[in-house]
Amino acid sequence: MFITDLRKNFYDVVANQRVALLVAADIDALCACKILQALFHCDQIQYTLVPVTGWQDLSTAFLEHKEQFRYFVLINCGANVDLLEMLQPDDDSIFFICDTHRPVDVVNVYNDTQIKLLIKQDDDLGVPAYDDIFRDDEDGGDSGNESDEGSEPSGKRRRFDEGAIERRIERQRAKREWEARRREILFDYEQYEYHGTSAAMIFFELAWVLTKDTKDMLWWAIIGLTDQWVHDKITHMKYVSDIATMQRHVSRHNHRNEDEENSLSIDCMRISFEYDLRLTLYHHWSLYESICNSYYTACSFKLWTLKGQKKLQEFLADMGLPLRQVKQKFNSMDITIKENLRDVIEESSNKYGMKDIRIQTFGVHFGFKNRFLASDMVHAAAALLESTEKEQNDTTDNFIKALDSLSRNNLDCLKAGIDLAKKKLIAIQQTVASCICTNLILSQGPFLYCYLMEGTPDVKLFSKPLALTLLCKYLLKAFVHSTRNKRCKLLPLIMAAPKDVEKGTVIVVGIPPDSETSDKKNFFGRAFEKAAESTSSRTLHDHFDTSIIELKTEDRSKFLDALITLLS
Amino acid sequence: MDPSEVEFLAEKEFVKIIPNFSLDKIYLIGGDLGPFNPGLPVDVPVWLALNLKQRQKCRILPLEWMDVEKLEEIRELERKEDAFTPAPSPYYMELTKLLLNHASDNIPKADEIRTLVKDIWDTRIAKLRLSADSFIRQQEAHAQLDNLTLMEINTIREFLLDSLNCMYKLRSNLQPGSTKGQFADY
Repeated sequence: MFITDLRKNFYDVVANQRVALLVAADIDALCACKILQALFHCDQIQYTLVPVTGWQDLSTAFLEHKEQFRYFVLINCGANVDLLEMLQPDDDSIFFICDTHRPVDVVNVYNDTQIKLLIKQDDDLGVPAYDDIFRDDEDGGDSGNESDEGSEPSGKRRRFDEGAIERRIERQRAKREWEARRREILFDYEQYEYHGTSAAMIFFELAWVLTKDTKDMLWWAIIGLTDQWVHDKITHMKYVSDIATMQRHVSRHNHRNEDEENSLSIDCMRISFEYDLRLTLYHHWSLYESICNSYYTACSFKLWTLKGQKKLQEFLADMGLPLRQVKQKFNSMDITIKENLRDVIEESSNKYGMKDIRIQTFGVHFGFKNRFLASDMVHAAAALLESTEKEQNDTTDNFIKALDSLSRNNLDCLKAGIDLAKKKLIAIQQTVASCICTNLILSQGPFLYCYLMEGTPDVKLFSKPLALTLLCKYLLKAFVHSTRNKRCKLLPLIMAAPKDVEKGTVIVVGIPPDSETSDKKNFFGRAFEKAAESTSSRTLHDHFDTSIIELKTEDRSKFLDALITLLS
Repeated sequence: MDPSEVEFLAEKEFVKIIPNFSLDKIYLIGGDLGPFNPGLPVDVPVWLALNLKQRQKCRILPLEWMDVEKLEEIRELERKEDAFTPAPSPYYMELTKLLLNHASDNIPKADEIRTLVKDIWDTRIAKLRLSADSFIRQQEAHAQLDNLTLMEINTIREFLLDSLNCMYKLRSNLQPGSTKGQFADY
């Protein structure tokens, strides 16, 4: 069931209890976790933090902890599947689920006792009405009547039987119709997968209601929202309206603290609204590198072609920026150039067809040196979360490191994250360039398909879901810009990359078509399931996003064929 | 004595806070505290104030001497005089550090206060060093320094005592008949 009053029905309930926090491995979940941890620290609530990367992890974690804990808080996992059936908990375990995955499973919505959903109901949920899906079983009543009627004397029985048989046939027909309608409703409801309001924002609102919200928590909520935008999980409209909500909070905090005479210490955190450039990490890199490696500019200029490179040089010349300045670290650029940079770039980029080079976002500023944009933090934390630097993939270590990088006092962690993010972006750009130049993207009819061979440089980076999704998004955009075929521009993309060489599996990701007004609804989840069933391929639907699966390399071709037949 | 021990003693000083919760009077071994009512100022020791601030249950009000003009006056006075002037508080250095690290958003002009307190500290320590230097050089028997705080005494304590011990050993070795080329060992 949905919880409307977060404070009364969630926070006060767990106030004196021990809680198990099961957190999924994405940045929004990390931010939500940080906010919740800060609240728990204030009120000295004991908790255990368990990072989970997939359904199997979730089940194992639950089994380990079900003896000791009664209350489980699940962040960004668990809403889109029938949780009670999967975990088989005892009757007194209570689950608080704060998840952005939609659609929410109907059993989770209509269960009144054990599952509490911390989800805002004004999100366009579209949950089917209770009576359309559930109804009391009347079969027992029918068979009981039949056996009673059997003992009647024969004359009366015959007349009675006719009426009874007709009624029975009527009931069965109505039941069949109802079941057909139910299947249809459920199919429509569960066909597309999409995302709702950020979990970090929901916990920030809880903190606000408790008047325990600090600037740190506000910053984490902003990072959670920006993560949804960077990884393309929400529509642009939703992003803009959520930014407006956050802007209200930011002005409230700034207004409370700033005063002409009593100005704040330089070490205090200042969050400001920025209408900044869409160049990833440009404050921590050189402007030139940032333009080459941000997908927006790289795709608009088509930087994998010679013509594109020339266009970039023209662009820089048009703005009057000398190459030497532009290739330097951003902080060491001439101050005269930096002052009007944003306006100058916006003007020039309009001429080159890039209309939205600027995006609304927030930046934070503390100490004398430290200035970060929300998207910088998202990229840094994502790089740390999925870092493949160490040979043994210790997910818990990476999770803790990524979690630490979000705090203000772990700046070296954050700097390490930014370096990893730079490497990741360069790798993505190079892979995109090579895929487009060697025409690795094939049109399979209803979708585009690309397979990364094992020998591709940096392919290990792309065995992780977040990195592969980012690569997918950039590749699709690049393809749309480089192809002449009008029909291909509207197709979705499926990408496969080797995941585990010893076990011989590949990770497969599907993303919806790239368009300005897309509603980011992804139908590949159900499509993958059906295709796997029909060809009995060995697949593992372990990830919380149903559009990301693991597949045995040998079954790849028959799986694809099944998908093509399914979707055409 | 360890500087952290001095800081521990400094945390017993009282500071005014404005809590946002309510609690009846609490009876501790060191004294009674409270009662706490939201929005009404109450005096509590610094250790409790910092704990409540970190749990976001109160707002700390700046101490009366933590004011830019007052500290500027004290700094000027300190620079003029040769002897030590009375310090703003017997634990001024520790309190500044604690309060400005944890509650700088409640204290106006925190950066300037930090700079001023550091200036005062530097001046006083320079005077202390000068006086210790002249004490040892002129081999005085006793000295009197007023208005020193525990933290300042603590910085010079070990060095001064050690050097006086050395001097004593050197002096006693010069007495005839005590040694024949034997050096005191330490």
